[in-house]
Amino acid sequence: MSGSSKEHIIKSYDDELIRLTGELVRMGELAVSQLEAAIDVVDRRDERAAQHVVHNDDAIDQLEQEISHDVVRLLALRAPIAGDLRNVFAALRIAADIERIGDYAANVAKRSIPLSMAAPLTPTGGLAYLAKLAAEEVREVLRAYRDRDAERAYKVWQDDVELDEAYTGYFRELLTYMMEDPRVITPCTHLLFMAKNIERIGDHATNIAENVWFQVKGEPLTGQRDKRDLTSSPEPVKLGNRPE
Amino acid sequence: MNDLAAATAAPLTGAATPPKIKVRDVHFYYNGYHALKGIDMDIPEKQVTAIIGPSGCGKSTLLRIFNRIYAIYPKLEAKGSIELDGENILDKDYSMNRLRTKVGMVFQKPVPFPMTIHENVAYGIRHHEKLSRADLEIRVEQALRSAALWDEVKDKLKQSALGLSGGQQQRLCIARGIALRPEVLLLDEPTSALDPIATGRIEQLVEELKHEYTIVIVTHNMQQAARCSDRTAFMYLGELIEFDNTEKIFTKPGKKQTEDYITGRFG
Amino acid sequence: MSVIYVRRHITNIVALALSGVATLIGLIFLVWILWITAENGFSAISGSLFTKITAYADQGGLSNAIAGSLIMDLMALLICAPIGVLAGTYLAEYASSTKLGASIRFLNDILLSAPSIVLGLFVYVIIVLPMSNLTNGAISFSGFAGSVALALIGLPVIVRTTDEMLQLVPGTLREAALSLGIPQWKLTMQVLMRAAFSGILTGILLALARLAGETAPLLFTAFGNNFMTLHPLDKMASMPVTIYQYTNDPNPALHAIAWAGALLITLFVLALSLLTRIMFSRKKVSYE
Repeated sequence: MSGSSKEHIIKSYDDELIRLTGELVRMGELAVSQLEAAIDVVDRRDERAAQHVVHNDDAIDQLEQEISHDVVRLLALRAPIAGDLRNVFAALRIAADIERIGDYAANVAKRSIPLSMAAPLTPTGGLAYLAKLAAEEVREVLRAYRDRDAERAYKVWQDDVELDEAYTGYFRELLTYMMEDPRVITPCTHLLFMAKNIERIGDHATNIAENVWFQVKGEPLTGQRDKRDLTSSPEPVKLGNRPE
Repeated sequence: MNDLAAATAAPLTGAATPPKIKVRDVHFYYNGYHALKGIDMDIPEKQVTAIIGPSGCGKSTLLRIFNRIYAIYPKLEAKGSIELDGENILDKDYSMNRLRTKVGMVFQKPVPFPMTIHENVAYGIRHHEKLSRADLEIRVEQALRSAALWDEVKDKLKQSALGLSGGQQQRLCIARGIALRPEVLLLDEPTSALDPIATGRIEQLVEELKHEYTIVIVTHNMQQAARCSDRTAFMYLGELIEFDNTEKIFTKPGKKQTEDYITGRFG
Repeated sequence: MSVIYVRRHITNIVALALSGVATLIGLIFLVWILWITAENGFSAISGSLFTKITAYADQGGLSNAIAGSLIMDLMALLICAPIGVLAGTYLAEYASSTKLGASIRFLNDILLSAPSIVLGLFVYVIIVLPMSNLTNGAISFSGFAGSVALALIGLPVIVRTTDEMLQLVPGTLREAALSLGIPQWKLTMQVLMRAAFSGILTGILLALARLAGETAPLLFTAFGNNFMTLHPLDKMASMPVTIYQYTNDPNPALHAIAWAGALLITLFVLALSLLTRIMFSRKKVSYE
């Protein structure tokens, strides 16, 4: 566990640290539900609901502002050291990651608007699957953060490879569609961007996992992590080879 | 897993620095009370070593063994060995005079002698060395310059030292100590009676002095230990709990007791 | 206003009133004494007081008594100041926490409160009688014996104040000097003495003020002399003894001279007190 299970001599210090963790967990939950809402509007082709999701991102930004403020306040007034310092430092970085996750979710919702204007020629099931994986990943890493559980965070960090693989698969799938029928190039391009956004959410989840690790262990999480997002590898993706 | 703290601190503290003082199994008793219970530590040369810990943990006691100032009081007894440059200073044959010229000490409260500023610095030199007047003047000026006090007092060297501010008095005490050209400088909570500005000056001075002296500072102020030491020792109930690079102690202490103390969870 | 506040307020007024009245009573008597001394003394002060000797009785002055007092007080001080300061230093620096030190302090406190007539008799037995026996009566009572008796009055005062003043010097000053390798004797003589200088000097002046007014120790030692003498082995006149004798005389003219003498002593002590004050105020900077 990071630092100590004992309470600070100054009780209000503990209150502030607990509040900070609470704010982060809340912010993270908000970001995950944004992602789910975004996928939902893609599925339902609901333009107004999409606008609503985009608009909701402000709430996440607002929370990030509050957390930044709290962190600066803690640094200035409490001068945290050792475990407390890592706690506060990790909170600041995790908040930035969650804020990006929220941005990506909003981006997905935004792109759903032109997508829903086009004919529903392309299946979005693959995208929903990606989102499900990503949401699960973020939820899990938030649990690890809440419980200060480095091992759990490490598992999330390693499991991100599944999302990468799924993304690579979906990428190929979309390419195949586009080659088969040039009319779907526009919606598929939107879907590609949305998929990439969701894949990035996974990367931010691993960032959070790294920060949880650092907060608990006091050292950076290093080591080789599998990256299975092969879409940018020099080897050209074999076309027509749809993953099973 | 690589050790970030050790890796980045390496150029600062460097394990290559030879120990100036080797403390081996030091026990201390007063009136039968077992105040230090087997301390082992290597104080690195020309670095700042901070000793922190709650009141009564023995940190001041340990410091006061380094120049055997404890010996002026009855019923105090130190056992074990403390090697200064390879010689055991707890040895009865070790000359007290020699020890005190090699190890200078600055105390919690600034205590200038009731003499002029000049005399305060010259007094110790005169006792140990026969210098010509001109040489003495040079030494006094050097000491005052080293203590970053010269510019403030050069026009009033003949005035009483008791008229100086607390911070100036404390720097005068440091000047008085380094005038004897010691190798080790012991600072016993040197800023606890000073305001933040005077404290800052002393800390800056410590940073400058460490190029020439091995410095050991006892402090209650954790931030002070963090700011101006290379290595930090945490003591509790007469034992040395942890002794490591300051950066490591303050970012990732190895012992739970250390973490509890420095983060204010002590109970 | 709450009840408790009113109660505190009343308690405060009562306490203030009681202590104020007590102070006032003390002050009234003090001013009264000074006033009567001044009133009776000033009218009797004249040039002949300082030029004529007591042998002329009501036609004379106090010159031999003034000289005798000054000589004996100074000699007493020369005897007791060095001994007292050194003894006090020993107590504070070398015997502060020993049983011997504690016993010496206790005995010194007894000496401090011993009746002065006892000290006079003591000196009579150990100095006046042996000298008289040795010289077949040529020398018996003497200014020197008087000085020794007075020195015994001043000694405990000086021991006490020196001891206390040195103990007031912060312990870290000792540690600071010792940590520079300064030996104990040098530390004591050059650092601590200087730090406690004004306090010790105050003690000496206080002792002087105290012994200047003593009558009893001089009765069996210096005895008294109606003629001027500066020789320490002669019988010697002194202000307090002369005042004592004159007030017992039926002649009112002698009473007037006694008043003048009393005023002179009062002024002398006042001057000493002022001097002490000035010395302390000049040394404002110190270790708090």
